[in-house]
Parts: sequence; C-alpha cells; structure tokens
Amino acid sequence: MIPLSWYLALSAVLFTIGVVGVIIKRNVISMFMCIELMLNAVNLTFVAFSSYFGDVTGQLFVFIVMTVAAAEAAVGLGIVIAIFRNRESLDVDDASVLRL
Amino acid sequence: MFTIPLFVLFGAMAVGCALAMVAQRNPLYSAISLIGVFVSLACLYMTLQAPFIAAVQVIVYAGAIMVLVVFVIMLLNVEEEVRRPVRLRFLVPVGVLLAAILIGEAAFILKLPGAASRIDAFGQRPSDVGLTASIGTALFTEYLLPFEVTSVLILMALVGAITLARRTATPRLAAPGNVDTEPPELGPRGEVFIRPGDTAETGRAFARHQLQRGEAAASAKRTGEEGER
Repeated sequence: MIPLSWYLALSAVLFTIGVVGVIIKRNVISMFMCIELMLNAVNLTFVAFSSYFGDVTGQLFVFIVMTVAAAEAAVGLGIVIAIFRNRESLDVDDASVLRL
Repeated sequence: MFTIPLFVLFGAMAVGCALAMVAQRNPLYSAISLIGVFVSLACLYMTLQAPFIAAVQVIVYAGAIMVLVVFVIMLLNVEEEVRRPVRLRFLVPVGVLLAAILIGEAAFILKLPGAASRIDAFGQRPSDVGLTASIGTALFTEYLLPFEVTSVLILMALVGAITLARRTATPRLAAPGNVDTEPPELGPRGEVFIRPGDTAETGRAFARHQLQRGEAAASAKRTGEEGER
C-alpha cells in the first residue's frame, strides 16, 4: 500500500528536473523535451489523485493534457524547423531577436 | 503487495532517466532518455489502476510525440551542443537554486504536521475509474464539450504546423552573402524548381536575384508613374 504522498513527491522531483532543464539547456529541442517532462510530472499527480479519490475526472484531464501536448509538439517542432531554416542553428541565443 | 517494490523501481527509473536527459548534451540521447521516463511513468500508472492512461501514455507520448521529436532531430541533423561562451552565465546557479527551492517547498508541504497523514488518509482502493469503459462514458456524456473543443484545437494545430513548416514558393531572404552560383530557372508561373545539386547558396543567390528584380520593377513602376504625371 503506497501512501499518496510518495507519488506527489516523485512528481515534484520530476517537475523540478524539468524546470532545471528548461533553464540550463540551450538547445531548442532539449528545452522542448524538458517541457514535456514537466507536463508528465503533473499528469502523474492527476492520475494519483484520481486513483486515490476514486474520481474519473483526473484521468480525463490527463487525456486532454496529452492531446494538448501532441498539438504543442506539432506546432513547436514546426517553429523549430522554421527557426532552423532561417538561422541554421538550434541555439536559443541565436534566436533571441525576432528580425533576421 | 508488489506495489511498493514496483513503485521504487519505476520511480527510480523515471528520476534516473530524467536526470540523464538533462545531463546529456546530444539531443538524440536526451530523447531516448525521455522515452525511458515515459515508459516508467506508464508502469506507475498501472500501479495506480489506470490501464487506459498507461496505454495512451505509451501510444501517444512514447509513440507519436517522441517519433516526431526524433524525426525532427534527425531531419535537422543536430550535432551535440557545442560548449561556447554562454551569454547568460548566471542561469546555471539560478536553475540549481530554483530546483532547491522547489524541492524544499514540496518537502515542506509534505512534512507539515498532519499534512502527510491527512493526504495518506485517502487509501488506494480497488476501483474501476481507470478502465476504458468508465473513461469513455464520462468523456462522451459529462465532458462532451471539452472533447469537442479539443478536436477544434487539434485542427488548429494541424493548420498551424502545416503553415509553419511549408516550403514557401520563394526561398526566405537570407543575409546577402557571396553569390557565386546561378539562380535556378523559373517555371512558367514563376515557381521555383529545386534541381539536384542545389544548395543553400543557390537559394541565397536566387533570393538576391529576386530582390534585385523586384527593386528594378519597383523603380521602373515609380518612374512610369512619374512620367504619367
């Protein structure tokens, strides 16, 4: 029997790793993957609460978060390709201004 | 009875893969570590009696999204992150500090007197909320509107992704570089045909050619208008 707080602690650790990754990474795709990790950490919280409270709403929310993440992946990677085509680099420091 | 060892195993796997993801400099290795995180989270969902979410996690995240990410990494031929002077050098200590604050905050909340016992008062009980049938019933009755709005969102993402990644008829204007290649031929309606052997240099030459032609046309038009006056 696992206490609910274990899941919450694990989720907090994963979220923190994602935050640190977004802050210290310089590559657009790596930052993007760190954002996915943060979304997953929150999903774990949702599923844990849903399972412990016996309420289906949390898992529905996870389902919708996954859909939004898929849409975000499609648009985000499109933006990454557009940036790369213009600047031939994936470093965020090279894309710090909007003009060419 | 097996849940505690399973939780420890997959929790450690998730944290280890996440740390490896942040530590890797090669984005492809990061992506593979992230797939490890997703799979271990799917196993954790199984211990939480959520088989539907676990299956969707593997199919959508580890399947679709990561295939897209790996595809883009290979398409752009991303090399390892080069170590070069970072402009915002203070970001690494800030990141570590923020991590410490976040972890401390979570630990503080979980260790508040009585908090953990109140949270853990909710015992996990055998339930059928995670089954596909109950999720589907709730999704198509009570939560029908969010479901439909999500489909609109996906349509918007589809249109947006195609618009962003589409090749435009004329190449994007690059910085004026050295033009030493022939601009490509134009089709009957002004479209560009990519020939074998074309490089980015050809595209730049073409862009410059277009720009010169456009300026010539504009000045001709201007002089024509002045002449009419």
